[in-house]
Amino acid sequence: MKTMTFATAATLLATTAMADVNIGNPMGMTGPIPDLVAPMAAAVDLAAQNINDQGGMFADGQAFNVVRADSACDPVAAVDAVTKLINVNGVSAIVGPVCSGAAIAQAESVSIPAGVVTLSVSASSPAITTMEDGTDLVFRATASDAYQGVALAELAIAQGMTELAVSYANDDYNAAIAAVFVEAYEGMGGTVTANEAHEPNKASYRSEVATIGASSENLALFSYYGSGGITLMRNALETGAFTNFIGADGMLSDEVIEQIGAENLGTTTFTTAASDSSTPAYAAWQAIADAAEVPASDPFVPNSYDATFMMALAIEHAGSADREAIAASLRAISSAPGEIILPGQWAEAKAILAAGGDINYEGGAGNQDFDENGDVAGNFSKSTVVDGAWAAELIQ
Amino acid sequence: MWEFVNYYFIPGLVLGCIYALGAIGITLTFGILRFSNFAHGEIMMSGAYLTWTVMAAFTALGAYFGFSDWALHPLIAMVPAAALVILIFLATDRFFYKPFRKAETIKVVMASFGMMLIIRSAVQVIWGPNQITFVRGIAKPNATLSEITSNMGLQILMPNKHLFIFAGTIILVVALGYLLNRTRIGKAMRAVSDSPDLAHVTGINVDKVIRATWIVGGICAAAAGVFLVMDTQMLETTMGFRMLLPMFAAAILGGIGKPYGAVAGGLIIGLAEELSAYPWIGDTPLLSPGYKTGVAFAIMVVMLIVRPQGLFKGRSF
Repeated sequence: MKTMTFATAATLLATTAMADVNIGNPMGMTGPIPDLVAPMAAAVDLAAQNINDQGGMFADGQAFNVVRADSACDPVAAVDAVTKLINVNGVSAIVGPVCSGAAIAQAESVSIPAGVVTLSVSASSPAITTMEDGTDLVFRATASDAYQGVALAELAIAQGMTELAVSYANDDYNAAIAAVFVEAYEGMGGTVTANEAHEPNKASYRSEVATIGASSENLALFSYYGSGGITLMRNALETGAFTNFIGADGMLSDEVIEQIGAENLGTTTFTTAASDSSTPAYAAWQAIADAAEVPASDPFVPNSYDATFMMALAIEHAGSADREAIAASLRAISSAPGEIILPGQWAEAKAILAAGGDINYEGGAGNQDFDENGDVAGNFSKSTVVDGAWAAELIQ
Repeated sequence: MWEFVNYYFIPGLVLGCIYALGAIGITLTFGILRFSNFAHGEIMMSGAYLTWTVMAAFTALGAYFGFSDWALHPLIAMVPAAALVILIFLATDRFFYKPFRKAETIKVVMASFGMMLIIRSAVQVIWGPNQITFVRGIAKPNATLSEITSNMGLQILMPNKHLFIFAGTIILVVALGYLLNRTRIGKAMRAVSDSPDLAHVTGINVDKVIRATWIVGGICAAAAGVFLVMDTQMLETTMGFRMLLPMFAAAILGGIGKPYGAVAGGLIIGLAEELSAYPWIGDTPLLSPGYKTGVAFAIMVVMLIVRPQGLFKGRSF
């Protein structure tokens, strides 16, 4: 306990030292998806470690500090966490939040009014694309669900699901991807037999699955695994209402297999943002991640590394930790023209920037070129249970 | 017809049993100690975590001695866990609530709010923020019950976990009835609930009654928590908090300070939440299941306006 207190005190001292570069990192450490977030946070720390090991920030080698806070995948908690990061810790920029609802809430009420750049690691709601009005402060290192919803609809058709029921949790992320999915699926000729919202965090979803279950064997489930998704799946299987499931990122966790059992998940497929593992950037990322024992291909883990690394590059490019110049620099370091920089090549990037050159970061998760809305393109994978574990396969 | 019974009515009763047991503790604290205990949900949650720990420790002990199939039933593991929950209750009362006994109610309510956050954070520190699997896999309906009922022309589908939850709730409620109506301490508890000053004047040891309240509330809270995880089959640190508001609704519906009212209120709220989604008219749900949480509060608000003393003539404020 005493050592922990000292460690905390030491961290506090370190993060408030004036000469360092501090970025805020609100992550959903608690809440409905802690298992997904833990390796993402490890990737953020790995990026910071790579940067500090290779000379740190600016000519005098200042430390690059990640000040972490718990956004709990919850809009209210995220607003609290980011308010503290910006006003108390005085961070230069925000890398995080994980969940769309949290990212939107903190951007609207804290970071945009404060003029601080947010680079979300995994918030994928289509609503984020159009949320800014005249400012250029919200970016993300993962593709919008406007694309994933379509990919999932194509997958459902390809699997021969001509009709299905839809159940989505009532939050920014799940409601948005469900809407995109339903539109795309019906456009491809599929029939949606029932489409109902469900309230997260209930102890039982038996009446929900009974209500929509009479119509089809197939369920498209949009939920976070930890706030009702697993319970809803369990109730659906117990009552025999549904046997085949498809869904997206929020459900893709080992917890699902652990709790429901691989034998019940034979016809379950979840999609997630994924990396094209054939690129040199991914190979560079995988080498770094494997050496640090961070799971390279887990959902949003490369995105988390990329976001942190790009934020550091942007601050280095801007030449100071002032909040104003970061947005423009973020665009400059991530897209052409410039020397290609791969994950982990901090010293090279620093040398080019010091000499006044241009760089173009290519990340493990994708090329990370921001469009005018601060969005990036991306790939998706589908995961099925093979031998008691999720096996991912890139969707072409 | 059987779809209604199996997918709406029985799940509603299961949820109602859990609400009822939780609401008993809330209504007793409210009636006897005169404050709404916000930490009650977290106590339920910690009871479930302790039960899981006892079960895991027992299995580990079995493995140590070479018996790989040792498994303790949650209803047995609940007994030592409930004892620990009672200790937590008594300790929080001694150190956090007793100093405020003579102060305004709002102070002790705030203290209980603080306890809620402290207990939840402590559980997150000890057991971690991740979900823990309580029972793996999915629960198939009890085959014997389905066979017997189908011979009788019925078609009841109930997994074993629900049978245990019903049996456990009935035993606890009967025991509680005996305690309150037949024993000296139970009568004293009811007396303090009706009028603390009068009870004190007639020589009832109020401190002893308060201790008994925490013990009864602790047993019911631990049972409610364990029944909840038996049903959802997983442990999660905010599960108690999510149950808190429907349990308050149940306590208010039944009448503050009335344990039987809490039981009735819990069953009504649980049934109302599940049945509101039944397609009573036509083929579509009467109310989208996404709004079923609202049903509990609608009942609570209507009750507070129309009949603030509750179904069983509890105290009104």
